[in-house]
Amino acid sequence: MSGIDAPIEPGLGSPTWGGFDHSRTRGRGAADIRRSFATAARLGWLMEANWTDPILFFIYSVAKPLASALILVVMLDVISGGAKPEFRAFVVIGSALWAFVMAGIAGLAWSVLEDRERYRMLKYVYVSPSDFLVVLLGRGVARVAVGAMGALITLAVGVVALGVPFDPGTVNWPLLVVVMAIGLTSIVAVGVFMAAVCIQSRQEAWSYPEAAAGALFLISGAVFPLAVLPAPLQVIGLLTPFTWWIEGVRQALFAGSLSSVGGDGSFFALVAGHATPTTLELLAALLATGTVATLASIVAFRASDRRAKDRGLLDQTTGS
Amino acid sequence: MSSAFVYRPTASPQEAANWSRRQIIATDLRTIVGRAYPRVTGLFREKSWVFFEVLLPFLATSAFVFVYRAVQAPPEYIGFVVLGGAMTAFWLNVIWMMAQQLWWEKSQGNLELYFAAPMNIMSVLFGMAFGGFVMSSTRAVAVLVVASALYGVSFAVDQWFLLIGVFFLTLAALYGLGMVLASLFLMWGREAWHLTQFLVEPVYFVSGLNFPIARLGILGSVAIALLPLAVGLDAMRQLAFADAAYPLGTPSPEIEALILVAMTVVFLLLARWTLRVLERLARKEGRLSIRWQ
Repeated sequence: MSGIDAPIEPGLGSPTWGGFDHSRTRGRGAADIRRSFATAARLGWLMEANWTDPILFFIYSVAKPLASALILVVMLDVISGGAKPEFRAFVVIGSALWAFVMAGIAGLAWSVLEDRERYRMLKYVYVSPSDFLVVLLGRGVARVAVGAMGALITLAVGVVALGVPFDPGTVNWPLLVVVMAIGLTSIVAVGVFMAAVCIQSRQEAWSYPEAAAGALFLISGAVFPLAVLPAPLQVIGLLTPFTWWIEGVRQALFAGSLSSVGGDGSFFALVAGHATPTTLELLAALLATGTVATLASIVAFRASDRRAKDRGLLDQTTGS
Repeated sequence: MSSAFVYRPTASPQEAANWSRRQIIATDLRTIVGRAYPRVTGLFREKSWVFFEVLLPFLATSAFVFVYRAVQAPPEYIGFVVLGGAMTAFWLNVIWMMAQQLWWEKSQGNLELYFAAPMNIMSVLFGMAFGGFVMSSTRAVAVLVVASALYGVSFAVDQWFLLIGVFFLTLAALYGLGMVLASLFLMWGREAWHLTQFLVEPVYFVSGLNFPIARLGILGSVAIALLPLAVGLDAMRQLAFADAAYPLGTPSPEIEALILVAMTVVFLLLARWTLRVLERLARKEGRLSIRWQ
C-alpha cells in the first residue's frame, strides 16, 4: 500500500467539506494544556528515573539533602557539643525543606539546558502545538517530586536519629496544606524565572540555579533565624516567599519551634511589635510575596522568550 | 626555527604517519592550549558568570558563616567556612567540567573527533583542567578575599611555602581525580549526571567542608585517605590557622602533603590507564558516538 492510499488517522484529515478548519489552529484549550502537562511530566519522570533500579535512584535522591542536613548538624555539634537541641531541630527542618527549593528551582532551568544543549530538541518542542511554559512546568514536576522525597526522608531521619521533636497529634494540617500549596507555587515560579535566565545563557548555566538557591538560602531563614542578619538583609529576606513558606511549615509541623522570622532583636519584631508572626500574618505575607514572585517570573519568562526568538537562542549550543 | 607543523613532503602515508618526538610534543602542547582556550576566553565573552559564579556562591558561603555566628562560634570557625567556600569552586569545577566533560562531549558529537585526531587524549584533559583552574580561581579568590575582609577573618600562617605547596598539590590531586572520573563517567552514561549530584553535598560532608574533619572520626580518616578535597582542606586549615585551638586527630600538614603527592601520582596514572581501557572498549563496542548520530 502506498503512502497516498494509507488510511488517514481520525481528526488529521481535511474536513469533509474540503476547506481549511481554522478551529484546529486554536487547539482545544484546557484539554491540550492538560495533555501537554501530563506528557511532559511523564517524560520528565522517565528521564529522571528510568536509567537505574529504584534502590540506587532512591540513594541518589536522598543523599544530597541528607548530607546537607548532616553538615549543619555537625557544625552545630562542634560548637555546642549537642547542648542546643532546639537549634539542631531548626537546621534539620530548614535543610530538609530546602531540598524542595533546590529541586524546584533547578528542575525547570535544567530542562531548558538539557533540551537545548544536550538533546538539541528545544526548538522542536518550541514549535510544537504545546505551550512551551506548560511543557517546562511538566518537566519540572518530576524533579520537584524527587526533591519532595528527599525532604521527607531527611525529616524522617531527623525525627528518628537526630532528635527532632515531632508529635503527629500537634500538626496543624489546614495550615500545612495551605502553606505547601502557596509555597510550592512560589518555588515553581522562581524555577520559571531561572529557566528564563538559562534560555539567555550558555552551557555553563548548569550551576546557576544552584547558585541562586544558595544565595536565597542566606536570606530565607532556612538554617538560622533572620535576626542574625543585618537589618537590610532581613528586609530582603522578608520580601521572599521562601522565608514565609519555611516559617509556615515549621509552625504547622513543629508547633512552638524556634521562629526563623521573628525573635528578639529581629526586624520583624521591631516592625510588628511582637516576637513571632501570627498565622494570619504569615499567610498574608506568604500570599503577597508568592503572588508578586509568580507574576514577576511570568513577565520575565515572556520577555526572555521574546528575546530568545529574536536572537536565535532557542537552538544555540555552546561548549567550553 | 622551523615549525613542527610545517608541510613535509613524504614518500608514503606510512612515512607521513611517523612523527618526530618534537612533533608529538608540539601537538600535545597545542592541544592543551586549544582545549583551555574556550574556558579562558569564555570568561570574557559572557559576563553573567561574575554574578552567578562569584557573587551568588559568596552569598551561599555567607549562609554558613551566619550559622556559626548564630551559635557564637569562635572566629577561626568563620575562617574554616571561608576557606572551604573558596575550595568548593575547584571541586565543583572538577565534577561539573572535568568529570562530566567527556560524556558531555560524546552527547555533543565531539568525542569521536577527539579520538580520531592525532593527539594524546590526556592533553585534552590537561587542557580542560588548566582552563577550569583559571575559571575557578577567579571565584575562589573572590570568595576568599571578599569574605575574609567582610567577616574579619584573620589568618595566622607560619609556613607559607608549605601552604602554597599544599594548595597546588590539592589542585593537582583534585584535577587528577577529575580525569579519572571523566573516563568512568563516560562509561557509566546517564548515571554520570546523577553521580555528579551525588558528589556535591555528600562529599562536602565527608570532607569536613565547614568544620574540622577530625570530628567525623573513622569516616574522616577514610575521607583523608581517599579524597583530595578532604586532605587538602585539613592541611590548609592547619597551616592557615596555626594559632587556632584545632581539634586533634588528623595527620600533620607535612604528612598530608605527602598523601596529596601520592594521590596526584596515583590519579594521573589511573587516568591514563582508564582512558586507554576506555578507548579500547569504546572502539570495540562502538560507544564513541551517541546512538542517534
